[in-house]
Order: sequence, then structure tokens, then C-alpha cells
Amino acid sequence: MPAARSARAGRLFRPVHRWVWGDLDRRVRKLLVFGEVETDGGRDILRAAEVTPDPLLRRLYLEHALDELRHGHMFRERGAAILRARALKAGGIFDGNPLPGGHGLDDLHVENEPDHRLLAFLHVAEKAAAGRFAIYRDVVDDDPETRAIFEEILRDEVFHMNYSYTQLTRVAPDSYKRHVWRARASRLWKRYVRAMAALAALIGNTILTVIYFIVLPLFAWLAKRGERREAQGWSAMTGVRDESPTSQY
Amino acid sequence: MKILGISAHYHDSAAALVVDGVPIAAVQEERLSRRKNDASFPLGAIEWCLDRAGLEPADLDAVVFYERSMLKFDRTLTSTLRAFPRSWRSFPSAIKNMLGEKVWARGIIASYLGVPRDRILFTAHHAAHAAAAFLTAPTKRAAILTADGVGEWATLTVGHGERTADGRTAITLLREIKYPHSLGMLYSTVTAYLGFAVNEDEYKVMGLAAYGRPAYADQVRKVVRRTADGAFTLDLDYFDFHTTAKRSYSSRFLDLFGPARNPYEPIDVGTPEGRRFADIAASVQAVLEEILVDIARSLRRETGLADLCIGGGVALNSVANARILNESGFDRVFVPPAPGDAGCSLGAALYADRIYFRQPDRDVPDHPFWGPVIDPGELARAATEDGQSLEELDDPALLERVADDLAAGRVVGWLDGACEFGPRALGHRSILAAPQPAAMRDRLNRDIKFREEFRPFAPVVPIEYAHRLFDLPPGGASLARFMSGVFPVRPEWRERLAAVTHVDGTARVQTLERAMAPRLYDLLEAYGRRTGLPVLLNTSFNLAGEPIVARAVEGYLTFRRCGIDVLVAGNAVVTKRVAAPAASIKEYA
Repeated sequence: MPAARSARAGRLFRPVHRWVWGDLDRRVRKLLVFGEVETDGGRDILRAAEVTPDPLLRRLYLEHALDELRHGHMFRERGAAILRARALKAGGIFDGNPLPGGHGLDDLHVENEPDHRLLAFLHVAEKAAAGRFAIYRDVVDDDPETRAIFEEILRDEVFHMNYSYTQLTRVAPDSYKRHVWRARASRLWKRYVRAMAALAALIGNTILTVIYFIVLPLFAWLAKRGERREAQGWSAMTGVRDESPTSQY
Repeated sequence: MKILGISAHYHDSAAALVVDGVPIAAVQEERLSRRKNDASFPLGAIEWCLDRAGLEPADLDAVVFYERSMLKFDRTLTSTLRAFPRSWRSFPSAIKNMLGEKVWARGIIASYLGVPRDRILFTAHHAAHAAAAFLTAPTKRAAILTADGVGEWATLTVGHGERTADGRTAITLLREIKYPHSLGMLYSTVTAYLGFAVNEDEYKVMGLAAYGRPAYADQVRKVVRRTADGAFTLDLDYFDFHTTAKRSYSSRFLDLFGPARNPYEPIDVGTPEGRRFADIAASVQAVLEEILVDIARSLRRETGLADLCIGGGVALNSVANARILNESGFDRVFVPPAPGDAGCSLGAALYADRIYFRQPDRDVPDHPFWGPVIDPGELARAATEDGQSLEELDDPALLERVADDLAAGRVVGWLDGACEFGPRALGHRSILAAPQPAAMRDRLNRDIKFREEFRPFAPVVPIEYAHRLFDLPPGGASLARFMSGVFPVRPEWRERLAAVTHVDGTARVQTLERAMAPRLYDLLEAYGRRTGLPVLLNTSFNLAGEPIVARAVEGYLTFRRCGIDVLVAGNAVVTKRVAAPAASIKEYA
């Protein structure tokens, strides 16, 4: 049922996705961000391979991590190829700085997660990703190379979905269904927390920007006056020897 | 006394434990969390340090934080005000960033560790750098130079340190250059302009510089100007780092140097555009060296001291360090293995011990191996479970066997003893290979480290052979102890050391004394008996974008996913078997 619901939601938002992917700048940005997210996710799964006591899971996590790292590489390469082929608008995608990194496995601390919880999380996350990537594949039908990347990744996602579920039934034969439901609930809760954090950040930024323009001008004037009076070059460090060890100033 | 030093919340957080004046343990958080440049509060590192010494937080006499948090907040706020109204976009994030975590260092430490608040102390950031440089160096009196991006306000300081015969220690910082005028920020700005990651990839700029000519040096001198008193000032019209966290350079900078590099495009120094980037890297490197040498020369004249200790992130610029040694007049230059912010945890703890608590001076063991110790059993278990070929050999047999592998052109992952503290692998977490064929460098960059082809590799050589192969000035061998200097490879050896000789004929050589890493030293000798050249290529045991491995299983999984042929952890040797077809593991789906 959840998969069917998600597919319906995907169809509903397909025009939005088509609009997002229709613009080349946005397409490049999406690909580069996916590149970072997949790479970070790969590193997280690699960490899971390092900490798991289960030898079979170590091998499977390693295989999964290698896939994710390869996907990251493919996305980056494709983004770079589109960049090469097309001059971007000035100041469009980045200003000489690489894009910020992704969130890996949904900010999951793999060291602290038992295998059954991690497997349930992976299963749910991979299923959701497969659904999204299937939509993206369909909306980039004008771009065979990008489409081919999604096709290839979708094939890997099938393996990821299946092994995580099979192994979950092995390590938690009596409670695997409960773990899958918990993972779904946890993803939902994290989405809610992220949305609320974004809203709080927006409100915080607005308040601080208002303060900036209303309260700070006088202090800014004083700070600039102080700066003008400052001598350039060396400053003597007279007070260092007398500083209190407990002082933060 | 038991003193814990902490650095955190900027980049590369770390913890270090000093007991009775001597370091017991020190480790960067990234080595435990496996998140490169992990800046979070280093709880894992702290726990590991305390476990190592068998201590509880309540046993600590002091916990020392590596900077004065409120003074840093003062700088952030003042800089924002000075950049009014251009700073309006960065103001909310700067305030949230500082008030969210950074200014509450005392409270965070007290709540995590449960230590009384009066046991939580602070040092000035550059005092911690100075202590990390001077108090770990084998010298009694030395001039001190620290330089980084920024601490609280200081970006560069000069001073001197002394250990007197009665056991007292003094560190006196005489002068500072204040933010935003910063050599570290200048270099980071060019790092961002060249499409590399700030606070991480500065060494790529240094590597790229060797491919270029300083054709843009005059333009760089416009951006960073010398002042009449021998310091320098940045022309802030060319920068944006003081007004926004999003971009380091302004549009005027772009007018002066041309368009920035697309970070997703490889650099090809064979193209005009690639050469332009290499020339810009060479130019900023040349001007940085010029300024540092000049400041060091003045410091030498002022103090009359023979030794110089350099600390701060800028001290990772080993080309500049070598020029300082050659041209400033100092006889010896010391750079600690962790001169950057991670090393401040150790510096802060030592500063508190010697200066705040006036404890008698103690010699600090002159090695970098303060981190987690390798467990060969972990490798043996993982390799056996995966059906890899495992041998357990005694030391002499193992060294002969590995020397054979290296002589046959195989690449060896080498895990031995305690992990290095600092960014360089100095023989305990290394990837080793033959230094002769240039193709080895390309293979390592392409198949093992997965990094840019212009990046050089470093050699490690027994100290007794170093002068024969490398053109080391007096004091050069000691600067090369922790790979802190770049020196010319003697022309007659360049062909035989092609994999470790950079395009300009230099190498960031590590000179190894047997006492520091006896097994690696013996391996070098065994390799030398086979090839006539006791030199190996030594690069850190990590892949691009990942921290250096700490545990054997981390080394093993790195070995499994790159082109390393042989993995050694203690006495366990694993030889890579041709990978089982992926389909076999996929059957478990």
C-alpha cells in the first residue's frame, strides 16, 4: 500500500519534476547534488561495513557502498559533462566553491545502529529512492545519457532493496515487519523535523535580518570608526601574559 | 597533573591527554568517526584518550579548550558590523553558528564530561599553536612563528620560547597581525578560486604551483600589500570572506585573475587554461613564501636565536618551510606533526601544564604516534571470513616478504602500531610502493588514491641515506622528520626516484630514524638490499575524500576497494585474491 501511495504521489508531482529537470541549470545542480548525496551515503554504508560484526553483512554493505560511490561518480561526471557542453549563466550554479555535501544516510549515525535497524532503514530508503529515480528517468527522456544513468542505478537499487530485506528477515526473523514500519515512521518523523527546522531557520533569519537593519547601523558606524583608527600591520601583544586561564575573553 | 586538551567546532576537532607533563594520547575525531575533517565536539576522541590512560573525566585536573570562544564571537560580530551593509546575508548564519554552539564551549564541556566548570580553562588560539610547536620541539630556546586562517583575532604571531635550567617554561608572543589580514585566508581564497575545498585542499594548490610560473605575482602583490613595519595587509576590495561565508573572493578578484575554475572540471596543465591556474597557484605560493621568509628573517635578527618553531595551518606548506630554513638565517626549523587546529588540542594541554600550572619542563617524545593502536587479529578475522589469503609471519620473514613484494612493483598497505597524530602518514598508516617508475605515481593516483594526476607523492628514506639522494641544507634532515620540508632530489637520482620526484625536481621527503619507526626502517633496508636504493614511496592510507584509516578493519575495507595488492597489519599479511565475481555476493539479495 505505501508503495502504491508513493507511486500515485509521484505521478501527481510528475509535471513538477518535469519542470525542474527541464531547465539545464537546475538539471546540472540536481545531478551534482545527487553526486554528493550518493557519495556521502556510500561512505556511511562503508562505515556500516567497518563496524558490523556479521561477515556476510560486511560483504554486502561493501558491495552496496561501492555501488553508491559509483553512482556518485556517475552523477558528478554527467553534471560536469553538461556543464562542459553549455556555458552557464553568470553566477548560476556555484561561485568557484563546490556544492555543499549531501546528508548521506539521512543523518543516520551508523556506528550506533544495530544491523536490523540499519537494514530496515536501507530497505525503506532504497525503495523510496527507486521510486524517485524512476520518475526522474521518465522526465529526462530528452537526454539519453542522463536517462541511461538512472536506468543503471535503478538496476542496482533492486539489489539494494532485495538484499536489505532478505538480510533483515535473517537477522530479525521474528520482528522484521515491525522494523520496516519503524523505519518508515522514522523517515516520516525526520522529514517533519527537517521541514520544521527549515521553517525555524526561515523565521530566525527573518528576525535576525530585521535586527540587522534596525538595531545594528549605529554599532556598525562605531565599528567602522574603530577600524579606521586601527593601525595597519603589527599589533603588540601586551596583554597575553596576564590573561586569566578561565577567561573566554 | 592530568590535563585534557580539546580543539573543536571549526574544522578537524581533536583531543589530547597530557599526564605529568608528557603526552599520553592524542587523536583527531575524524579518525574515529570516519568523517573527513570532522568538526563536531570530539567526544569519541576524548573517550578514547581517557580510556587509553584508564582515567575518568573526574580524574582530570583541567580540561583546556584551544581558543577563547567569546573573543572569537567578538571578532565575528565586529567583522560583520564593519562590513555593514554588505554582510546582511551572512549575519543570520554567523550569529546562529556562534550562538548555536561555539560560544558555549564551557557549558558543552561541562555537560559532556561532568567536570566542574572551574576546571575548564582556555588558551588563546595562537598560544596553543605556539605551544604545540615549541613545547614538542627538541630545543631549549627558539623563536616562534604561528600563522593560520584566523584564531580569535590573530592570524599571524611572532615571539619566542624558553625552557630554563630550573625547569620553568616561558612562551612570549610579541606581536600579531589581526583578521582580516591573513596569509591563511589569502591562500584559502586562491584554493576556492581554483575550485578546491577550503580548509582541506590547500595542499593541492601547493602541488599545482610546481607546474606554473609566478606570472601573476604582481597581481598577488596588489591583493596582499606589505606595510612599512614589515607586516602585510589584504586589500579587502578583492575579497568577500569577511562579508559572506558563500564566496571568498570578490568580482574585482575575478577581474584581476580571470574566471574561476569550475570545480567539476579536471585540471589539465597542458591547456592554456590549466597553465593559467598553475601560474596563479605558483604566484600565490611565491608571494606567501616571500612574506614568510621576510618575517622570519626579521624575527631571526630581533631574537638572535638559532632555532625557529613554526605552528598553525600555514606550517603545512612544506615548500615555504624549506625556503624559511634556507633563507631566513635560522639554523634549525621545527614544525610539529600536527601544526594545524587538531594539534592545538595538544598545544593547549601543554600550555596549561607548563604556563598556567607552572609544572617543570619535560621532554616530549619526538614522534607523532599518539593514536589508536592496530589490532592485527581484526585483520586476520576479516580476511579469513572473506576467504582472502592470510599469512601470519614473524618480523624478519614478514619484512623480507614485503620487501620482495615492493621490489616486484606491488603496492603495500602498511598498518603498524599507533596511528599518527596530524595529517601526514609517517610510517604507521601508509601506502608504500617502489619509488622508481613514474608509472607508479600515475597508478597510485588513478587506481588507488583516486585523485588528480598532478598530485605528487612523498618518499621515505633512512636518515643516513638522505643526503646522498636529496639536496638537504643544514637542518633539512630535521625539518624532514615529519615531512615538513620540500627539497630538491639530486639530479643523478631523479630518474631512479621518478615516482616521488615532483615536476620541479623536488620531493617532500621524510627522513626516518630507526628509533621512530623501527619496522619501517628495517623494511627500507630490506628493500634497499634488493634494489640498491633504500627509499619507498610513502603516502597516507586513505582514499580521496576519506580520513586516514585508524583500525585494521578500516584498512582492510580500503584495501578491498582499491588497487592495493598486499595489506600488512602487525604480523598479518593479506594478499589480494582476484575479486570474487560480484554476482556471487548479489546472490544474497
